[in-house]
Amino acid sequence: MVFSGKGTRPQGRRRARVSPETQGWPDMRPLSSPTRDVPFAGERGAIAPSPPTTFQRLRYRLKISLREPTTVIGIVTALLFAYLIVVPIVSMLTDAVHVQFGDERRIGRPFGELTLYYLNRAFLAPISTALFWTPLLNTLSVAFGAILLSFLVGAPLAWLVSRTDMFGRKWFATALIVPYMLPAWTFALAWTTLFKNRTVGGQPGWIEALGFTPPDWLAYGRVPITVVLALHYTPFIILLFGTALRRFDSQLEDSARILGARQYQVAWRIILPLMRPALLSAMVLIFAKCLGEFGVPYVLGLPVKFEVLSTSLFRSISSRQSGVAAVLAGAIMLIGIITLLIDARLVKEARRFVTVGSKGTMNRLTRLGRMRILATLFAATVFMLSVGLPLLTLFLSTVMEVPGRFALDNFTLNYWIGRDLDSVALRTGILLSPDLWSAAWNTLWIVGLASITSGLLGLLVGYVTVRTPFRPLATFLRQVTFLPYLVPGIAFATAYLSLFAVQRGPVPALYGTSAILMLALMADQMPYASRAGVSAMMQLGKDPEEAAQVAGAGWFRRMLSIVIPIQKGSLVTGILLPFISGIKGLSLFVVLAVPSTDVLTTFSMRLVDYHYTQAANAVVLIVAGIAYAGTLAAQKLTRTNIAEGLGG
Amino acid sequence: MPTITLRDAQKSYGTNAANAVSNLDLEIGDGEFMCLLGPSGCGKTTTLRMIAGLENLSDGEIRIGERVVDSVRQGVFVPPEKREMGLVFQSYALWPHLTIEHNTDFGLRLRKVPKAEREAQVERVMRALDIEKYRHRYPSQLSGGQQQRVALARMLAVNPGILLLDEPLSNLDARLRLEMRAELKRIHREFNTTIVFVTHDQWEAMTLATKIAVMNEGSLQQLGTPNEIYDLPANRFVAEFVGSPPINILGLNGPDGSGLAGAARQYLARWHSGPEGIGSLGIRPEALHLARSDEIPEGSFSGPVEVTGILPTGGSWILELAGEGDPLFMTMHEAPEIDLGTKAHFWAKPEALHVFDTKGQRSTAFDRNVRRSTPTQ
Ligand SMILES: Nc1ncnc2c1ncn2[C@@H]1O[C@H](COP(=O)(O)OP(=O)(O)OP(=O)(O)O)[C@@H](O)[C@H]1O
Ligand SMILES: [Mg+2]
Repeated sequence: MVFSGKGTRPQGRRRARVSPETQGWPDMRPLSSPTRDVPFAGERGAIAPSPPTTFQRLRYRLKISLREPTTVIGIVTALLFAYLIVVPIVSMLTDAVHVQFGDERRIGRPFGELTLYYLNRAFLAPISTALFWTPLLNTLSVAFGAILLSFLVGAPLAWLVSRTDMFGRKWFATALIVPYMLPAWTFALAWTTLFKNRTVGGQPGWIEALGFTPPDWLAYGRVPITVVLALHYTPFIILLFGTALRRFDSQLEDSARILGARQYQVAWRIILPLMRPALLSAMVLIFAKCLGEFGVPYVLGLPVKFEVLSTSLFRSISSRQSGVAAVLAGAIMLIGIITLLIDARLVKEARRFVTVGSKGTMNRLTRLGRMRILATLFAATVFMLSVGLPLLTLFLSTVMEVPGRFALDNFTLNYWIGRDLDSVALRTGILLSPDLWSAAWNTLWIVGLASITSGLLGLLVGYVTVRTPFRPLATFLRQVTFLPYLVPGIAFATAYLSLFAVQRGPVPALYGTSAILMLALMADQMPYASRAGVSAMMQLGKDPEEAAQVAGAGWFRRMLSIVIPIQKGSLVTGILLPFISGIKGLSLFVVLAVPSTDVLTTFSMRLVDYHYTQAANAVVLIVAGIAYAGTLAAQKLTRTNIAEGLGG
Repeated sequence: MPTITLRDAQKSYGTNAANAVSNLDLEIGDGEFMCLLGPSGCGKTTTLRMIAGLENLSDGEIRIGERVVDSVRQGVFVPPEKREMGLVFQSYALWPHLTIEHNTDFGLRLRKVPKAEREAQVERVMRALDIEKYRHRYPSQLSGGQQQRVALARMLAVNPGILLLDEPLSNLDARLRLEMRAELKRIHREFNTTIVFVTHDQWEAMTLATKIAVMNEGSLQQLGTPNEIYDLPANRFVAEFVGSPPINILGLNGPDGSGLAGAARQYLARWHSGPEGIGSLGIRPEALHLARSDEIPEGSFSGPVEVTGILPTGGSWILELAGEGDPLFMTMHEAPEIDLGTKAHFWAKPEALHVFDTKGQRSTAFDRNVRRSTPTQ
C-alpha cells in the first residue's frame, strides 16, 4: 500500500516574511457564511451552546456501540474467556484454601470450609519436603543445569551458524533447530532405550544387553533429565542468540581488534556483554519451559523417584489430593509469572542497546581458517547427538526383537504390523492396534477443532480490539487471552480439573470427556491466537473495511467478503502453529485425558507405563514425524521463520 | 441531490485531546464542488469522515437534506453503509485480495445490478480512468498513481450522488493530475453530483472548486468562492495560506514609526480606519508594481525600494525588493528590464491592500472606505 508521502507536502503554514510578530498566530475565531453570496460574515456569535448532557452523550454512544455486532461479540467473547480462563484459575486457587471432598475427616472440618491445611502440608509440614521442597530444588537444579549446558553448546553454535564461514552453515542453521520441532520426551524415550537398567521392568536397555550395566545416575534422574532438556532447548539459544548476533555490528568488533584485543578478548569483553539481554531472555524462556515440562522427568525420573514440581503435582492429582494439587499448581503458576515478568524486563532492557541493529550495520563473516573443519565437526556431532542418534535409536528399537542385539534375524516388523504377539494387552503391531487409530483420530479432531476455534477466536479478538468504540473491552480481551501464557500447561490443566471435575450449575462434569481436553487446549492456545489476530488486524487497519462500509456493505457482508478473505493467510498460520504444538503437547493432556479420550501423546505415556517400549517408541516416532512435517509445511505455506512460532 | 449540513459539528479523539474539529458550521449545497483546504492536520480528513459516518461526533449534528443522519443530542446515527456516498480514502484502501476488476464491481454486486449492466458500467469507468489493462492484477501490483485511479473507479462505478474525495490526486504525475481534474469537473457537470474534495494544494482548490472552505486547527476560517478567498481573505491565516508566492505581510503593531511600517501606518490613516486597530497589512506579490518616483499613480501606497534579487520561475519572475528594512516579494509576468541593485519605487492600488486588525481579522471598515472613495478618483 502506498500512502501519499506526508513528508513531501508543502508546509501549510507559510512563514511570514516581514515581521517577526507574525510568528505566533493571533487567536482567530472561525468565520463562516451560510449565506452564499456574502464572502465573510463577521464573527460567529460568541455564545457557545451548552455541551450535550451526559444522558444524551451516553445514549448516542450506546446507539453507536450496539449498532453493529462488534461490541456484542466482544462482550460475549469476553464472558466466554472469563469463564474458560479466569474462572478455572480462580476455582483452583480457592480449592487450595478450602476443605476438599473426601478430606473432611482428616482435617476435621466440613467440606468446603476455609482451611490452611493444604498450604501447611505443602510448605511447612514434614511431608512438604517430599511434596514441594525437594521437587522445587530438583526443578531448579535440572533447569539451571539444562540452561548452562544448552548455553555451552548453543552459544558457540549460534556464533558458528550466524557469523562464520563454517561448512554447511545454511544447512546447519535449519538442521540444528530440528530437536525443537520434536516432542522433548522423544529424547527421553531414546535415552531409556539405550541406558535402561534392571531398576525397572520390561526389556533391558541396549547397553545392558551388550553386557554393561549402566549405573542408576546415568540411567535415570537428574543427569539424563538435564541432558535431555538441554538437547531439546539448545535450538532456543541458537535461534534467539543467533538472531541477535546477526544484527550485531561488525564495526564494534573491528574497533576492539584495532585497539589490540585478541579474538577471545573481543568475544568475552565486547560481544558477550552486548548480547547479554538476548541471552538472558533465552535462558529465562528455557527456564519457564522447563518448569512446565512433564514428559521428560516422568519417563526418566520416576524409576528412581526423582521428582520435579510437575511430576509431584501429577502424583497429587493421581492420588486425588486435589487440595495439595491446587497449592502446587498455584506455586508453579507463581514461579511462571515471576519468570515471565523477569523476561519482560529483560526485553525492555534489550531495547536500550541501540548499537545492536543500528544503521550501517556490517555483518562480516569471520574466517575460521584451520578451525573450519573442527567447527564443522563440532556442529555435526551436536546434530548427531541431538537428532540422529535419538531418532535412529528409537527407530531401531521398534524393529528389533531383542533390544541391542544387532543380528539380521533379530530384526522384525512385528511391533509395527505384527499379529498375535505374545504380550498381555497389545497383541498386534502398533499400526494394527485400534487404540492407536482411536488416539490418532482423537488427536486430529480434538487438537484440530481446538486450533481452528482458537484461531478464529483470535482473529475475532483482534477484530474487536481494533474496531470496538468501547476501549475497555478491547483491553480486557487482550489481557484475559494473554493470561494462560503465564500459567504452565500442567497447572492450567489442574485448574480445569478443579472447575470441571464435578457438575456446576448447568455445566455437567466434563472430566473424562473429550470436551474438557478441547476447551483446555483452546484456552491454552489463546495467547498465541489472539496475539496473531491482533497483530494481523492492526496491520490491516480499518481502511479496507471502512471502504466496504461506505460502498454499502453491512457487517456480515464485510466479514465474509473483506475481513476473513484478507486475513486468510494469518488465519492459516494462527491455526497451523497451535495445531503442531498441540499435537506434541503432553503436560496439558496428561492430567485431563482418560484412556477413552487418549490422544497420541498420552497414549504413548500409557504404553510407557505398561512397559510396551517398542510400541511407545513407535507412537512417539509417529508424533515426531507429524510435528516435523507439520512445521516444515507451515513454514513453506506461510513463508515464516519458525523462530516466530517459538513461543508455541 | 440534497444539501449536506453540518451544524456545530465537533470531534475530539479521546476525552482530553484537543478538538480535531470544533464548532464546524458548513452547508454543502446541491451540485456544489466544495474543496476543504488547509494545512496538514487541520481536520480535513476528520470532517470528511464525519460526513461519511466513519467518525462519530462529539457534539453537533449532520443533516442530508432534511434528514438528520447524525446527532448527539437527538441520539441519531445513520451508519455509513446507509448514507449512499462515495468516498476515496487518502490511503486508497483498496481491497488487497480482490483484482482491480473486482475492486471496481464490488459496489455494483452489493446492489445486485444485473450482470450485463454491471460489466458495461465497470468497463466504462475503467476505460475512463485508463485502468482496463490492469483489470486482472491485484492492488499490490500497481503503482501509487494507478491505485489512486482504481480507488476513484471503485467509487465512480456505483455513481453515488455525493462524492467525498480525500486528496485523490496527490499521487498522480502532473499530466495525469490535470486529466483527472478535467475528468472530475466533467463528472461534476454531467451528473450534477455534489463533491466534497479535500486537498492541501491551493491550485487544485482554485481550479476545481465552486466553493472553498479554508480550515486551520480544526476550525473553519473562511467559506467562499475561489475568487472571494483569494481577493478578500477573511483573516490573515487565509491570506497567507492561499497564494504563491505568499502574500507580503507588514506587521503594524510595533511602536516604530519609521521605515515601511511607518509609511504604511501613515498611508492607512488616510482611509479613516484608525491606526490603533490595525494589526497588519497584506499585499499580494502580483499587486505590487515598480516605477520611478514621478510615475506613481495618485493615491496609491508606495515607497522606495532596491531590487536585491531576481528569480525566474518559468514564464514569470519573482523580484525581491528591499524596502526600508523589510523585504517585499513581487511577481512579474514579463521579463523585468531591470538590473540588480536598481533603486526604484514600488506602488500598489488601495483596492489591492488587505488590512487586518490586531486579531488578524480583515478590516471591513477599510474595504468599505476604499470602495466608497475609489470611483471618485
Ligand atoms: N484516530 C485518531 N486519533 C487521535 N487523533 C487523531 C486521529 N485522527 C486524526 N487525529 C488528529 O486530528 C487532527 C486532524 O486530523 P486530520 O486527519 O483530519 O487532518 P488532515 O487535515 O486530514 O491532515 P492531512 O492533510 O495531513 O491529511 C490531527 O491533529 C490529528 O493528529
Ligand atoms: Mg487527511
